[in-house]
Amino acid sequence: MTQRIASYPGTTLSEEQIEQGRVLSVHDRLRADYTWDAGLAIGLYLDGLKAGVILGVRCARCDRTVVPPRAFCEQCFAPMDAFVPLADVGIVNTFSLCYVTWDVKRIAEPLIPAVIDLDGTSPPAGIMHLLGGIAPDRVHIGMRVRAVWKPARARQGAITDIRYFKPHRRG
Amino acid sequence: MPLDPTLHADDLQAWYGSMPVTSRYTYGPAGERFFRAMKDEARILGTRCGRCSLTYVPGRLFCERCFDELTDWIEVGPSGTIEAVTVAYLALDGTLLDPPVLMALVRLDGADTVMYHRLGGVAASDAKIGLRVEAAFRPSEDRTGSILDIAGFRPLGVNET
Repeated sequence: MTQRIASYPGTTLSEEQIEQGRVLSVHDRLRADYTWDAGLAIGLYLDGLKAGVILGVRCARCDRTVVPPRAFCEQCFAPMDAFVPLADVGIVNTFSLCYVTWDVKRIAEPLIPAVIDLDGTSPPAGIMHLLGGIAPDRVHIGMRVRAVWKPARARQGAITDIRYFKPHRRG
Repeated sequence: MPLDPTLHADDLQAWYGSMPVTSRYTYGPAGERFFRAMKDEARILGTRCGRCSLTYVPGRLFCERCFDELTDWIEVGPSGTIEAVTVAYLALDGTLLDPPVLMALVRLDGADTVMYHRLGGVAASDAKIGLRVEAAFRPSEDRTGSILDIAGFRPLGVNET
């Protein structure tokens, strides 16, 4: 539809006109400072990560254990019953080879974001994280992985307290 | 571990962040003409609607009453009359202004609208509705095409703002 509009009404301005001061303008720089309250469920989840534990939450009524924690069950809307420590082991549910960074820079070695279904969740529930310690062409859905944690003193209560997940063999 | 909000309230976490937001605002066809005249010529321009017998300051593109296009640009001021005045004791950031700052609505001679600006050169007790004032323009080298190209308004005949 927009292709059919030959010329738009109004005044067209060029970058040049503004930079050379031929058109007056005001530059403004605002800093939008914010504080995001993680809330009860995520707050404790982050505290758990700092302590080296991945916490899920359990709804007894629906017989569900999910991660990341949430305050109420989105199936029955009742408050969750309890926090449950989960193993830091799971299987790759899905993954991607990512050749651009978050700020759109090309990279030769891909990042490998993955959804990892953690053991102890039911039905299998996953968190998004990175895979590491494996060649990109060896990654496959269903492979078992284990969390590689930052040293305790470097952990700050963030999802990045887990550096990545690496291949894990049972036993 | 039960989900008890009171039990773990101290453990709750918050994320801190700051989003840089930059913007560039151009004044539009009417604003460009108004601020260009302020910057280059220290003149205050309005537009007149002959149909409604109204002069708008700053000049704008259409009459807010009859929506007719306005093309009749005329100079107003630089003198005018105070229509309202207030004394500001607090700055934008909440800190105390000492001395306090006077702010006034000024109806420029020839205009039907009022302009909001600083008022100087007069004690708060003497800043009354009806006081005759004039715009004090900054020197041309200091003017940038902003409403602050007028440093403020001052009583007619007072040389310093």
